[in-house]
Amino acid sequence: MTTTTTGTDTVALPRRTAPLSSADQRRGARRRRLGACGVLMTPFFVLLVTVFLIPVGTAVWLSFFGADQPGLGFGPERTVFVGLRSYAAVLTDPTFLGGLGTVAAYCLFYIPLMVVCALALALLLDSGVVRLRAWAQLALFLPHAVPGIIAAIIWLYLYTPGISPVIELLARGDITVDFLGVHTVLPSIVNIAVWSNLGYNTIIFYAALQAVPREVIEASVVDGAGPVRTALQVKTPLVRSSIVMVAMFTLIWGLQLFTEPMLLGQQTPMINSRFTPSMYIYDAAFNRNNYSLAAAASVILLLFTIALSYGVTRWTNRSAEKQEAAR
Amino acid sequence: MPGRQSRRSVLAALAALSLSGVSACTGSGGSQPRTTGKRSKKTTRITFWSALRGSQEVVDEFNRTHDHIQVDFQQVPSGALGGYAKLSNAARAGNAPDVATIEYPQVPGFAIDGVARDITDLVDDGLRDKLLPQALELTTFDRRVFSVPLDIEPMVLHYRKDLFRKYGIDVPTTWDEFEEAALLARKRAPDRHLSLFPTDGMTQFAAFSWQAGARWFDTSQGAWNVSMADAPTRRVARYWQRLADQDLVARFNTDGNRFPAAIGQGRILSRLHGAWDAGAQMNAHPGQAGKWAVAPLPQWDTRRPVSATHGGSTFAVTKDCRNPEAAMEFISWQVTHPDALRARLSSGTSSQFPAAPGLIEVGRKAFDRRYYSGQDIYALFREQAELIDDRWTWGPRMTATQKVMQDGFARAAGGQGTIIDAVREAQRGTLPDLKALGLSTTERSS
Repeated sequence: MTTTTTGTDTVALPRRTAPLSSADQRRGARRRRLGACGVLMTPFFVLLVTVFLIPVGTAVWLSFFGADQPGLGFGPERTVFVGLRSYAAVLTDPTFLGGLGTVAAYCLFYIPLMVVCALALALLLDSGVVRLRAWAQLALFLPHAVPGIIAAIIWLYLYTPGISPVIELLARGDITVDFLGVHTVLPSIVNIAVWSNLGYNTIIFYAALQAVPREVIEASVVDGAGPVRTALQVKTPLVRSSIVMVAMFTLIWGLQLFTEPMLLGQQTPMINSRFTPSMYIYDAAFNRNNYSLAAAASVILLLFTIALSYGVTRWTNRSAEKQEAAR
Repeated sequence: MPGRQSRRSVLAALAALSLSGVSACTGSGGSQPRTTGKRSKKTTRITFWSALRGSQEVVDEFNRTHDHIQVDFQQVPSGALGGYAKLSNAARAGNAPDVATIEYPQVPGFAIDGVARDITDLVDDGLRDKLLPQALELTTFDRRVFSVPLDIEPMVLHYRKDLFRKYGIDVPTTWDEFEEAALLARKRAPDRHLSLFPTDGMTQFAAFSWQAGARWFDTSQGAWNVSMADAPTRRVARYWQRLADQDLVARFNTDGNRFPAAIGQGRILSRLHGAWDAGAQMNAHPGQAGKWAVAPLPQWDTRRPVSATHGGSTFAVTKDCRNPEAAMEFISWQVTHPDALRARLSSGTSSQFPAAPGLIEVGRKAFDRRYYSGQDIYALFREQAELIDDRWTWGPRMTATQKVMQDGFARAAGGQGTIIDAVREAQRGTLPDLKALGLSTTERSS
């Protein structure tokens, strides 16, 4: 207790002699910290503004303006404020809604498949069953290093009847598969996406699994849990946040599906020029020369993506809280 | 082989994407120096874009015979391969060529977008009188002319004379006879088809409907009336659906390798294409000389024969042109002067049917009849061109309409949906576009 008094005394002395300098020091430190924050954050904000906010703003602006062409439209063209006209046109366009349906089906199929496969692989790697772990990781990750467009071209080659060695090999075994048929075209696209992203997501899960405390695993082993049970009931719940993150990123990517169907569309009539919302936007802008329609469709897709991401986060947070409460 | 093709087309598409941006910056050239005074000695330079074969020869001939106007020609990819995107982008950037080549279906779209200039006042009576009225009608909207027709291509029946004779098939003059002939061909030559329903053939299907009296688009009431599934179109769709369902006609793309192969091997005995295809056939299959003949399009009602067009191009003066008079002079020369047609035909075998009837004789003389065993196909084209129904109007976004319809045709050929479903889908996919452009639209069906 006495030490506290001496302590206050000793502290009080310099405070009395140099009260300003201490405040200055603190202010200076804060300023330095703010400065550092500023320096470190500026690139982020500059990029955010230039590659996200300005384009979004432009798109919103464009979507509210359009050509004023009363009647047949052969008169002189004027650009005027048209309100929600372009939005109404997009939302009543069955080809756009069909595109949304396509990506919804794609996501429902792709996301669970991707998460389950990537998690299973990560758990296998983590469990030590796999030999040559580093090589396995490299092999898994390599496809992700192939740019999406190249991957699509490679798969297009493998899917096209007449040139595909896969189809030829299957045909020798009396199996005829049309990878680009009515019912197979979406699974074919999912296959490309899984091929190129599986390794990446596996690495994310694997990294998350590394952070699981060894004591927990040991405790579960001591309690008599087998490797499968440990993997499913101990490790998996502990990497829950990674699973949500991967699912969310996959969802956002899925909604913007463009490259693969765009390229496969060259070989199959089952993929039309407005197969997905992104393709619809491209078609509206560059084939139909309707920038305001394209902008409105882009804004709708953005809002849709934000709403869905928000919904997913809210839902997972709430169910996480519930789980906490249940414990 | 198809693989190489496909990859190449993928790359071509990518290249076209990137090029269309670049070209917008480079294509300006010609419109800068211009004549100021009325009788200035200066030469006016104009730029000209076209994907048509023989254009370089035509331009060379023009430049050789003219002093006050000189044309800079640039070969561009065809519309479907990015030529139209290139033109739109250039116009958006403010440096479209002075003169652009636009096919009939795309004329209203470029007119509405303001790319093709209103040239009503520049088309004098002299030029007007030289053109087939049905052709000029197709480039006139709201009583304003937006481009000048170069050729008009009546749809005709190109058929294998030798194989028709071999299997005892008479040349059909009506669609009923065409169906019987198709049945006969399947019976007598099970590995062959009388003809093809092209799954990438919106333009062919449009011609069939046009002939039957359909009016997909109509501007007579001051609004764009879209009724693609009108009664005549439904009739045509039913007809082809019936033929397709019984496998009386083949169904695949005319683009790609399969169609030329089928023609080369004689697995397709006839095709319903525009007059131009007679020349294209000579180029593509020189070995089949003497085996082909051309007949009129089969009719629904032989007492009132009607024809329709398949293909054909027009020339437009763009909004960025600084000297429309000079551009018009060049266009006018191109579409009406015998030297222009001769120059174009000199580039190789062509059977282009000029929209200026005065030039038909020139084409007829220049055309080498040996391939068609001496048949006077130009005389036939002339008769057929007279029968073209002049009430047809193309829509404001034909490239997009075409895509949606052809996707539907291809799906129908794959067993999903029908021909008329594809037509209805095209209508549904077209209307939002027109509304978003701010056009007045209606949907009455005749």
